[in-house]
Amino acid sequence: MIELTGVVKNYGSLVAVDHVDLSITGGQRTVIIGPSGSGKTTLLRMVNFLEKIDDGTILIDGREAGYRRDRKGRLVMEKPDVICKLRSEIGMVFQHFHLFPHMTALNNVMEGPITVKKESREDARKTALDLLGKVGLLDKKDVYPAFLSGGQKQRVAIARALAMRPRLMLFDEPTSALDPELVGEVFSTIKSLAQEGMTMVIVTHQMGFAREMADRVIFMDNGRFIFEGTPLDVFSSQMENPRVKAFLDKVL
Amino acid sequence: MVRRRYHQLEITGVRLGVCACTLSLLVLFLLCPWSLEAEPDGYDLLLKATQALREGDLDRALHLYQQVPPPQEGQEGGAFVRSRMEAARIFFSRQEFESSASMCREVLEVFPDNLEAKNLLRQAEVSQIPQWLRFLKDMKTYLPTLLKASGMTLILVLITMIVSPTAGLFIALGRISRMKMLSAIFWFYIWIFRGTPLLLQLFFIYYGLPQLGLTLSPFTAAILGLGLNYSAYLAEIIRGAIESIDAGQMEAAKAIGMSYWQAMRRIIVPQTYKRLVPPVGNEFIALIKDTALVSTIAMVELMRAADQIFNATFNIFVLMQAAIIYLVLTSIFTVTFRKIEDRLGVYENR
Repeated sequence: MIELTGVVKNYGSLVAVDHVDLSITGGQRTVIIGPSGSGKTTLLRMVNFLEKIDDGTILIDGREAGYRRDRKGRLVMEKPDVICKLRSEIGMVFQHFHLFPHMTALNNVMEGPITVKKESREDARKTALDLLGKVGLLDKKDVYPAFLSGGQKQRVAIARALAMRPRLMLFDEPTSALDPELVGEVFSTIKSLAQEGMTMVIVTHQMGFAREMADRVIFMDNGRFIFEGTPLDVFSSQMENPRVKAFLDKVL
Repeated sequence: MVRRRYHQLEITGVRLGVCACTLSLLVLFLLCPWSLEAEPDGYDLLLKATQALREGDLDRALHLYQQVPPPQEGQEGGAFVRSRMEAARIFFSRQEFESSASMCREVLEVFPDNLEAKNLLRQAEVSQIPQWLRFLKDMKTYLPTLLKASGMTLILVLITMIVSPTAGLFIALGRISRMKMLSAIFWFYIWIFRGTPLLLQLFFIYYGLPQLGLTLSPFTAAILGLGLNYSAYLAEIIRGAIESIDAGQMEAAKAIGMSYWQAMRRIIVPQTYKRLVPPVGNEFIALIKDTALVSTIAMVELMRAADQIFNATFNIFVLMQAAIIYLVLTSIFTVTFRKIEDRLGVYENR
């Protein structure tokens, strides 16, 4: 579905993502783990063009997307309307939710379909109510985000992303900002999404979740993929890669 | 009381006359017949009083003035009128309005048509009224004019209140846009209009532009000056408010496929409203007071109306009344903005 090849991101002299290849196929659940500052989030943001890549290519359905080369051979992003179109097909959930504080939960979910897809209010409302029901927050539809708990906010944020009917969902540490007792409700929401066959890429520090959810676990460090395999491979006691081992020893 | 004193003087005068008469008879009719009227000569007293004034002895002068007797039948009474009026003026200047008024009344008793006495009496009487009563009296006289003029102040304020936030928003968006040229132009505009006095800008527009071939009516010039100036200020306030919105909001908006402008319009700018109310409210209150500056370019508004009346009457109450109207206006705005702020904040958990 989406294929990143040789993508690079530099922040000044720091290489955040260093020639990484990532291929995501439909229905696949990829979990990316690794120490902080290893480039996981940057990689995720590259997938929906929130981060401009400095080199490499991004293929969507086998076709190059989002970038072209100018006459000097430098990579430049396509025009905003092209990028917006691409983004609207990829949902993203942020660590800090980023709900729109001036809108009720329902309006947060309706906003994308109305403004971007130009759906009618009634249609958007129907979809939004449906999705709020799915994440178990129908009773909170008229509540402003400031009056929701962290877990509820994140579930609304998931519903907001789903309202755009994305083909791919990106989760950027969806539970890192939550109190421990609220992590479960967000995970079960994501899990039910997985059961419907949603393609997703999840960056997380929750190893239990990674083990349970993932088809494929990628361990990232210093902007590179260090290890890639099934949860069984990564979390098995026979793990030989010393860096993965050291990391897992620390977090488990 | 003063009149009784004259009575006594008269009596002493008569006694003196009798004495002198006896004396003159006794001194073998040596004295001239007119020494029979030996009462103090009015003009003589006037002269002495003037002398006393020259020496700076005000009390003595007043005393002497009051000694001048009222005219008898057949006398013309010039000295009497002059003395009492002099005394009345001195009392008036000392703010002893009651004494001043009684001097005038004495004159009017003898000469009911004396204009000078009438005028001074009225002034003294008015000045005798307690200050607060005078204030109310003046209010009735001048308030209608001032209120009418403050209508113009309000019009100026309201037009600027509509024009400058609208223009300010566009300028702010231009300033933060990636279009370098646009941003630079607006930077320059803000630099000019925030960096020079509003008074100078008004002068330039009203008195300066005609020299460049563009003559504006005072009203147009006032609106233009206030609008340009306040747009510059509000643009910076709005830019600050937009930049204070968490960058995550723009990201989240983009992540659901919104364009930059859609995100601005639907997500970012609406969130600035509540943050904008306090600083913008401040600006509008400053604006109410700054409209006073357009009085310098021939606009008749509250300040100018008050100034005109004040220059004609030197009545400081007029200025106080203008101050009260300004205070009422600014208070209304303060309360209104407080209410708006509360209403805009419904989505906040406080």
